[in-house]
Amino acid sequence: MMPIYLKSLFRVLLGLLPIISLLMIWQLFSDGPSPHFPAPSYWMMALGQLWKSGQIQFAIKETFWIFSVGLILSTTLGFSLGITIGVNQKFREWTTYSFESFRAIPPPVVIPIAVLLMGYSDSMKIVVIVFATIWPILLNVVSSIDNMHSGLVDMGKALHLTQKQLIFKVVIPSVIPNAIIGIRVTIPLAIVITLLTEMLTGSNGLGGIMIAGQRNYNSSQVYGVLIIVGILGLIINLASNYLEKYFTKSWPPKQQL
Amino acid sequence: MTFVKNSSLSLRGIAGLLLFLILWEILIRFLIQFDNLPAPSAILFSWFDLLTLKQYWEEIAHTLFAAMLGWTVASFAGIFLGLSLGLSKTFYKYTYTSIEVMRPWPGVAFAPIGLLLFGFSLKMELLVIILPALWPVLVNTMGGIVNIPKSLYEVVASLRLTHFAKIYKVFIPSAKASILVGLRISLSLSIIMAVVAEMIGSPNGIGYAIIREQQAMKPTNMFSYIFTIALINVFINYLLSKIVNRLSSGQSTRRLNQKVLVQ
Repeated sequence: MMPIYLKSLFRVLLGLLPIISLLMIWQLFSDGPSPHFPAPSYWMMALGQLWKSGQIQFAIKETFWIFSVGLILSTTLGFSLGITIGVNQKFREWTTYSFESFRAIPPPVVIPIAVLLMGYSDSMKIVVIVFATIWPILLNVVSSIDNMHSGLVDMGKALHLTQKQLIFKVVIPSVIPNAIIGIRVTIPLAIVITLLTEMLTGSNGLGGIMIAGQRNYNSSQVYGVLIIVGILGLIINLASNYLEKYFTKSWPPKQQL
Repeated sequence: MTFVKNSSLSLRGIAGLLLFLILWEILIRFLIQFDNLPAPSAILFSWFDLLTLKQYWEEIAHTLFAAMLGWTVASFAGIFLGLSLGLSKTFYKYTYTSIEVMRPWPGVAFAPIGLLLFGFSLKMELLVIILPALWPVLVNTMGGIVNIPKSLYEVVASLRLTHFAKIYKVFIPSAKASILVGLRISLSLSIIMAVVAEMIGSPNGIGYAIIREQQAMKPTNMFSYIFTIALINVFINYLLSKIVNRLSSGQSTRRLNQKVLVQ
């Protein structure tokens, strides 16, 4: 009998067969450093060069930095705004259509606005990410306050909690699992927006390097960085899956009712 | 999910939006001098001017055409792959990890590849649209098939349907609600990705127009184009949710919607 982890590893490898065979066929039949379909070995060489010059390390750091600052800011803002809207009925009524119309603007077209208003800067990129990714968290928080078990609020009132205590001790804890789901939805969006901003503003991040490679007809570099972007996306996705499982498992206040 | 609690119009909400616009107008006209942020009234006037231009309508048509074409290809491919994955254990076994590895790949990252391969063209735009738009359809189709109750398989077996009839008459109809949700998500994604692709490298369409006006320092025109795409976005989403509700009447799509969001 094979141990379980070997078995699951085997399963993963079986599932990877199409990608592996595609890359091997590509390598065998490609004519080296072609301008359109360079062989995978050339991607690695291009990456090696980027690594030696320190460009790729810097790019990964830069992209990851912008991504995480943007995500943290949009999470905090979205969460607190969501609580405010969900709890304060008046505020919600007055702002409903304003928020709805902001939300209708497709995230990528915020970039040119931000460029015009703030120029090419890091804070511009962060503002773009925040504006693009705030909505899933905000909406998830608002709708989970709407769907909160009415018994929870009644209980708080019966205990004579003040408004502040009610929010911090009842509303916020019961909203957290849904907020985590909102964050999960935002993460892929945040990666896309980060890369897009870098492509449009030609920064030193991963998106910037890709566009630079394309402009210099350095196709191996573009494919190489594409692989790095894919791996980064995969790692972030796995991490967020794990986080979601962890939080929703250890925090199920709904079932305790 | 929306902010609006019940579907009736809220007067206070509209008043709030108007108040916001008036505040913006006053700020720009009288209080701060900001060259690049035009007042709402200025945007409105330049929008009226744009409406009379033939080019404006051609740009909208181009973006919609690219989005629809990409969406159609992605839908067919996604439904086909999703069906195969849901129905064939072997196919699932040999490909699923690959799909899981490919799925979180940011679609924009393929834009430079598209530029290398096809230059500034519609093909490049289609590549950037199709790749991300494929996944919602694929995952939802597969999910719909996998969630078909076991008893249905037994019924199908006892009816001795042909392979094609099984899929066409039983499996697709019972996974319909889930597939429709996937198609809807994929369409709104297609429109956004079309704009993205045009922003990076296609000499046509709304996305290109936005970047062109930004670089020409004409913020009023830029904002008009941005509001145009926002309106199209809202309109198509509204239309699609109506169609999906009509087509999958009886089957609850709200549940599904939430499940998809989690994915």
